[in-house]
Amino acid sequence: MRLYRFLIVAAISVWVLAACVPAATPGATAVPAIPETAATATVPAGQAVSGRLVIYSGRSEPLLQPVIDAFRAQNPDVEVLLKAGSNSEVANALIEEQANPQADVFVTTELFTVQSLAQKGIFEPYRPAGAEQIPAEFRGPEDAWIGLTRRARVIMYNTELVSAEELPTSIFDLTDPKWKGKIAAAGSTNGSMQAQIAALRQLLGEEKTEAWLQGLIANDVTFFGGHTDVRKAVGTGEFALGLVNHYYYYLQQAEGSPVGIIFPDQGEGQIGLITNATAAAVVKGAPNPAAAQAFMDFLVSPEGQKLFAELNYEYPLLPGVALRPGVEPLENYRLADVNVAQAAQEFEATFDLMEKVGLP
Amino acid sequence: MQRIVPTWTFLLRLPRRSFSYRLALAAGLVALFVAIPLAYIFIRAAGAEPAAWERLLQTRIWLLLGNTLLLVLAVTSGALAIGVSMAWLTERTDLPGRRFLRWMLALPLAIPAYIGGIVHLALLRPRGGMIPKVLEALFGQPVFTPSPLGFWGAAFILTLFTFPYVYLLSGAAFRSLHASLEEAARTLGCRPWQALWRVTLPALRPGLAAGALLVALDILAEYGTVALLRYETFSSAIFVQLSGRYDRSAASVLSGVLVSLAVLILWFEVRLQGQARFTQMESGWRPAPPVALGRWRAAAFLLAAGVVFASLVVPVGVLLAWSVQALLDPATLQMVFQSGSRGLGDFLWNSLWTSSLAAGAAVALALPVALFAVRYPNRLSRWIARFCQVGYAIPGVVIALSLVLLVNRALPFLYATPLVIVIAYVLRHMPQAVRAAESALRQLSPTLEEAARMAGRSAGSAFLQVTLPLILPGLLAGAALVFLTSLKELPATLLLRPAGFDTLAVRVWIWASDGFYAQAAPAALLLVLASALPLSFLLRREHIFK
Repeated sequence: MRLYRFLIVAAISVWVLAACVPAATPGATAVPAIPETAATATVPAGQAVSGRLVIYSGRSEPLLQPVIDAFRAQNPDVEVLLKAGSNSEVANALIEEQANPQADVFVTTELFTVQSLAQKGIFEPYRPAGAEQIPAEFRGPEDAWIGLTRRARVIMYNTELVSAEELPTSIFDLTDPKWKGKIAAAGSTNGSMQAQIAALRQLLGEEKTEAWLQGLIANDVTFFGGHTDVRKAVGTGEFALGLVNHYYYYLQQAEGSPVGIIFPDQGEGQIGLITNATAAAVVKGAPNPAAAQAFMDFLVSPEGQKLFAELNYEYPLLPGVALRPGVEPLENYRLADVNVAQAAQEFEATFDLMEKVGLP
Repeated sequence: MQRIVPTWTFLLRLPRRSFSYRLALAAGLVALFVAIPLAYIFIRAAGAEPAAWERLLQTRIWLLLGNTLLLVLAVTSGALAIGVSMAWLTERTDLPGRRFLRWMLALPLAIPAYIGGIVHLALLRPRGGMIPKVLEALFGQPVFTPSPLGFWGAAFILTLFTFPYVYLLSGAAFRSLHASLEEAARTLGCRPWQALWRVTLPALRPGLAAGALLVALDILAEYGTVALLRYETFSSAIFVQLSGRYDRSAASVLSGVLVSLAVLILWFEVRLQGQARFTQMESGWRPAPPVALGRWRAAAFLLAAGVVFASLVVPVGVLLAWSVQALLDPATLQMVFQSGSRGLGDFLWNSLWTSSLAAGAAVALALPVALFAVRYPNRLSRWIARFCQVGYAIPGVVIALSLVLLVNRALPFLYATPLVIVIAYVLRHMPQAVRAAESALRQLSPTLEEAARMAGRSAGSAFLQVTLPLILPGLLAGAALVFLTSLKELPATLLLRPAGFDTLAVRVWIWASDGFYAQAAPAALLLVLASALPLSFLLRREHIFK
C-alpha cells in the first residue's frame, strides 16, 4: 500500500535525522557522582567551574536561556540543565526534595516565593561577589537569596483599539464595564500575578482586593497561563488591554505591533506603581555548590545584569548598569511600598483568596 | 497426575486444573505494583485536613464535577455519532474512495489532541487567529467565526481526535456482523432504517460500549487540550493546584474524587456489557451487500472528507507549513536543534527510549497476569486481571502526583531519574498490554503446551519454546499500543521529568505554550510520524484493513 510505503520512508528519515543530531546518549540520563565541595567554599573570580549545574526556574525558559548561554561561554565545562515551570510548581518540587536535593540554583520571578522558601530553610546562604552594591531591600535575610532585576506591573494596550482619551489610568479602571470582554491577564498560576495580588492585599486589605478580583472576573477578563499569550493577543488586537509586566510591552513593540504602555495609579491618593523583583538562591545540599555559586556570581555581575536589561528590558538591581534605550526609568514614577517579608508570610492567604474568588 | 490441593482452595473455587503458585505469586506482585499508587492517593485524600475538604467542597468540586461530566458526555456522544456513522459509511455503503478513507479516518489517532488543539486554536482564535484575520482583510470587517475556546471548542477538538477509537471498534463490528441478521429483520417486515436501529446497532453494542469507555476515560484524564482551550476539568484543576499553593492535600483530594469517578465509569461499562450477550456462528459468514447511497453519495463523501480534513489534513498541513517556516528561518532553526544543552535529537531519543522501555516492561508484567487469568480461570485470577486494568482509569496527573510523593520517600535514588517516567507510563498503559496478552493467549489452545509437556519439556521451556513464539504477534501489538500512547503522554511527563530531560511531547507543549509555534512544529511533526508507525502496524492487524 502506498501509504505504508510513505510511512516507512518517513520512519527512515526520522532515524536519519536522529542520527544527524549529536549528543543523544542514554547515559546522560543517569545521575553521575559529582565531587562534593564544601558549601561555604567560594570560587575565585574568573576560575572556570565544571560538572553539572541544575537550575530550577520560575522564569520562563526564553527569558533565562540567553543568560545561561552567556554563562556557559565563560564556563564551557559546565553542563547546565534547566527545569522551568511556574514559581510555585518549582517551589513545590524544592520542598518535596528537601531531603533529597536535586537542584543547585533556584531562580524566581517574584520575591514572596523565594522568601517563603527561605523561611522553610530550603536555601544555603550565599553572598555573590559584588552583592553589597545591590540595595539592601533586595537582599534576603542572612543572604538566603539575592535580587536580580526589577519589573513593574503595567497595563499595555492596542493603539488601534484604544484612543488616548479613554486610556485607563489605574488598575481599578479595569473593572469598568466599558472594558468588558476586552482585557487579557495572566491567571492564578502565574507568579507575577500572584505577587500583584499579594501586594494589593497588603496595600488595601482583603476586602478591596477581593472586590477588584471579582470585578475583573465579572468584566470577563480572559486569564491566560502566561504573559506571552497576553502580549501577543493584545498585539494582534484580540484584546484592547493587557495586565502585564512592563517588558512584555517592549517585547511586543519590538515585534512591530501597535501597542502602548500605561504606568498605572500615579494620581493623588492612588496606590502607586506595583513593582516586584526576580531573585536567585543556592539550594541547601546542592549537588554542585561550586557551579551554583559561580552562576550566582554571574547573575549579579555587570555582564549578567546587562543581559537582563538588554534582552528582556528589565530594570537591573546592580547600580550603574544601563537600561535598554527607550525603557522608562522607574525613577519617573511613584512606586507602591510593599514589605516583602510580611507579604511572604501572608502568601498562603493570597492563595486562599484566589481560590475563594475562583481566579482561573 | 499428581494434584496439590491446599485446604483453603474452596474459597477460591478452583477449577479442575491445577494451580500454579509461582504464577499466582507473580501476578499478585504485579497487581500489588499497580495498587500502590492508587492506594496512596486514597490515603492522602482521606488524610487531608478537613479544612482542605471543606474549602474545596464549598468552592470548586461541584463546578469541576459539572464541567468534567458535561465534557465527558458531550465528547462521548460526539465520538459515537461520528465514529459509528463513518464506520457505517466505509463498511456498509458504496461510498466512493472508502478503502482510502478507512485509513484516513483511523490515522488521527497518531495526533495527540493537544497538538490538534494548538493548530485549531492558531487558526480559529477569535480576532487573533489566521482565519478570522484573513476574513477581516477580505471583507473589511470582522466576520463571525466559531471559537475553539471554552466548552464547545474543547468538545469539538476532543471529539475530532478521539472518534477513531469508536470508529475502529464499530468498524470491526460492522465488518464481522452476519448479513443474515439484517436480512431476517427485513423479511420480518422492518424497513431498512428500522433494521439498522433495532437489529444492527444493538448487535454492535459491545463494540460501541468499549469505544465509548475508551473515549470517556481519555477525556477524564485529558490535560493538555482543556488547559489550552481554557476549559476547567478535574485534571486541569489538579495541575493548577500543583502549580499553585505549597500544599498537596488539595490536589490529593481532587485526585481521589477523579479516580472514584473513573472507577464509576468502569463499573458502569461492566454492567452495560453484562446485560446482553450476542453470539454469532463464525461459519457461513458473508459480508452484507453494501447499501447503495444513491443521490446521497456526494453528500456522504463530503461529510467523510470533512471529518478527515478537520482531524488529519488541517493539523498535518499546518504543522508542515510551520516546519517549513522554521526551516527557512535560521534563528528558529537553531533553536529547534539546540535549546540549551539539548536538541531535537535528544527529545526524540528520550521519547523513543522511555516509550520503548515502557512498552517492553508493560508486556513483561502483563504476561504473568494474562497467563494466570487465561490458564487458571478462577475468582482470584479474574480479580487480578481486572485490577490491572484500573490504570486506564487513573489520569496521568494522578499517577505522577502519587509517584512524586512515593518515590521521593521510599526510593529516593530513583527520584528525578527518567525511570520514574517509565514507571508512570507502565502503570498508566498496562491495561492495553494485559488485554492484548489475554486475547493472544485465549486464541491459543492449551493442548499445544500440554503436548510439549508430555513430550518431556518442563513448564518453563514449554512456555518459552511453544507458547511464547505463538503469542508473540499479539504481544507485539500490545507493546505497540503501549508505545504509541506513551509517546503522546503529556501530564505525567511534565510533572516527573528531571531537569534537562524533555520528551517530544513536553517540548512541543512548552514551546507552543510560550507561543513559539514554528519552533514547536518540527518536534510535533516528528511526534506524529513516530506515532503513525506503530499505529499503522496495529491497523494492519485489524481485519478491516486487510
